[in-house]
Amino acid sequence: MIYLDWASTSPPDLSLLDEAARIAGQAYGNPSSRHRLGHEAKEKLDEARHRFAAQLGAGKTGRVVFTGGGSEADALPLLAVLRQALSSRRDGSIKRLHIVTTEIEHAAVYEEVLLLKSLGLEASFVRPESDGIIDPEKIGAAIGRDTALVAVMAVNNETGAVQDLAGIAGAVAGAAKALGRPAPRIHVDAVQTLGKVEFRPAELGIDTAAFSAHKLGGPRACGALWIRAALEPLAVGGGQEGGIRPGTESLQSAWAFSRAAEQAAGALEDNRRRARALEARLIEGLISGAGAIPLPLGRKAGDERYSPFILSAAFPGLSGEVLVRALSDEGLALSTGSACSSNLRKKGRRVLAAMGLDEGLAFSSLRISTGPATTESEIDSFLETSAALYRRLRP
Amino acid sequence: MDAFYLVKIGEILLKLGNRKEFEDRLRSQLNRRLEGLPHKVELYPGRYFVSVPEEHAAAAEFVLSRTPGVNGFARAFKVEKSVDAVFDAALKVAAQAVGQGGRRFKAESRRSDKSFELGSFELSAEIGARVLEAFPETKVDLHQPEFTVNVEIRERAYVYGNPSPGLRGLPVGSGGKGLLLLSGGIDSPVAGYMMARRGLSLEAIYFHAYPYTSQEAKDKVVELARVVASFSGGIKLWTIPFTETQLKIKKEARDDLVTVMTRAAMMEAAGLLAERIGANSLVTGESLGQVASQTAENLRFTQSRTSLPVLRPLIGIDKEETIAMAKKIGSCEISILPYEDCCVVFSPEHPLLRAKLERETEAYEKLGLREAIAKAVTEAELIAIPYPLPPSD
Repeated sequence: MIYLDWASTSPPDLSLLDEAARIAGQAYGNPSSRHRLGHEAKEKLDEARHRFAAQLGAGKTGRVVFTGGGSEADALPLLAVLRQALSSRRDGSIKRLHIVTTEIEHAAVYEEVLLLKSLGLEASFVRPESDGIIDPEKIGAAIGRDTALVAVMAVNNETGAVQDLAGIAGAVAGAAKALGRPAPRIHVDAVQTLGKVEFRPAELGIDTAAFSAHKLGGPRACGALWIRAALEPLAVGGGQEGGIRPGTESLQSAWAFSRAAEQAAGALEDNRRRARALEARLIEGLISGAGAIPLPLGRKAGDERYSPFILSAAFPGLSGEVLVRALSDEGLALSTGSACSSNLRKKGRRVLAAMGLDEGLAFSSLRISTGPATTESEIDSFLETSAALYRRLRP
Repeated sequence: MDAFYLVKIGEILLKLGNRKEFEDRLRSQLNRRLEGLPHKVELYPGRYFVSVPEEHAAAAEFVLSRTPGVNGFARAFKVEKSVDAVFDAALKVAAQAVGQGGRRFKAESRRSDKSFELGSFELSAEIGARVLEAFPETKVDLHQPEFTVNVEIRERAYVYGNPSPGLRGLPVGSGGKGLLLLSGGIDSPVAGYMMARRGLSLEAIYFHAYPYTSQEAKDKVVELARVVASFSGGIKLWTIPFTETQLKIKKEARDDLVTVMTRAAMMEAAGLLAERIGANSLVTGESLGQVASQTAENLRFTQSRTSLPVLRPLIGIDKEETIAMAKKIGSCEISILPYEDCCVVFSPEHPLLRAKLERETEAYEKLGLREAIAKAVTEAELIAIPYPLPPSD
């Protein structure tokens, strides 16, 4: 199978998983236990934590909390707002705190904000421009007196659009100042960054950032949340992970994740250069071969505003889902968009629609996402096969 | 001890001429559905009796509540024809109903064996008195009882409480065999259920346009067929590879005709398959005016591609009512899964609303679909879905 669905998940790095299993097998104590085995486990866990923090360039700023996945890491800061809303009133009512987010967030944020809204919080969803990029001014304009959190993703998982987070943090600070209030927290879903796009949370003026291990060869059900300062979680339990994510820590997952992040960071420049070359080959081939349309409309190879690892393309007149199915039969693995939303009942292409893209074009799109192991010949195979299928299947 | 059920039948009793045939069908339907469990089905005048080992009681009730031709059924005591035995069982039935909160009751007796020492009126009166005495909290209410203690003195004596409703209708097979056009939607499984209740045994046909329709869509249809099978008995599902035919229509028909031409082609294919499997009719979930292909004019044109009667039990049923039925039979939650049955790329924006039979027939003939349709029917894939008897405790 030719795998071009790296934004969904990546093939696991088995040597890292083995190494992590060995370490965790030796230091099998509970990191909270007071005996020697417990101390050993805690030491290894801290080693993993520091290694991970180092890849973020965070140094001593903030702290890394290991979680049960990227979605959980996204949920923690959002649920902290709920706790704040519930605990600010003594009469049991809920304070109508406000969350600002975008129309293009991953379901882990988007659906969670919708849930919080249904529970009584306020929410604003900022639309992207037609190029898939959020205008920081529009985030600033959405800030109100009761805004408790701003949640914007770093790299969009369908378009590859890289958001101007420093600009957004500036706009948020400016808007808060104009209102004479402290700035709300900023949370960033950074799941598509590690090993792909430079991302240094401590330098961006943001407060929390979520990561996922399986996108870079690490284990499933493992994520991390970088936090600048403590937040108040909804689940408390045994107080692990600085009281932010209760539950006995998985040394195995944390170790594998930190090592995967280390390797990915080391190879970042090389991989990016290769990905840029593949991106150019893809965009050129899609246009000249199949007559497909790279998305967002007008996307060019080498544009720094997009991750070179993610590209959506429309095949007008043919449903993207149909093409994905046919490609799968030919041995090529791709998705139409986020795997997490292709399961849901509603079928729309929320992200593309938010950019104002014509519904027919959005419907006909699929996503090509590459990784460090993707080769030129795999791209060529895809180009050839998709063009042939498109000619054959377009009704 | 065995779980023993008294089974009431309804409409069969009206069929004086071929009553025997109907009775045999129902008996064989019950036997077939209970196949694999140790069980006994007995037929006495006007009543069936089903017994299974206690651990299979839930399975037996599943069968009795879903077999067309069964009007109602009740767990019963089968006792010797003596006054004492009958009173004893009547008190047990009452104890159970009282335990479930029943207070207002009546006793009802039927005596077809006139040699029994008490007449039915006296029997009811005596049971009433004994229940009142044993359960002082109860009260007789002849008009709106919460429970009824039923006694039937026949070849043996039977005593039971409130019967559970059956599906009524006619035993499957008494109306011959129909071919159900099963899509992934809400309507067609309900149509199948309704016709099974009218005594049609069913096979189903599904049009698969891979890769335009997904494997998931097909899996969903299999699940829907399983729901229909729980009422009709096992079902054979024929999947027709329809991509080639549909593409030909899409490429060669005028855009607004695509839907109605596709429906006509499906009717033609279903007609061919029906002939092959010996079905006497086609069954669809069509409802007048529900979508563009379902106007009277379009139905006339699409059904003209087959000489078989097209049975449309939902033709005058409102969508809300269909949904309510789909929920009741358990197909709704499967039907609303999001896999489309007929790919959106094939449906025109403004489909033709009022087909003219001659004009559209001419356009259809021009498409030259006969060969593609015949080939598709030959290549049909058969999935035999057994009767979905639930596992026992």
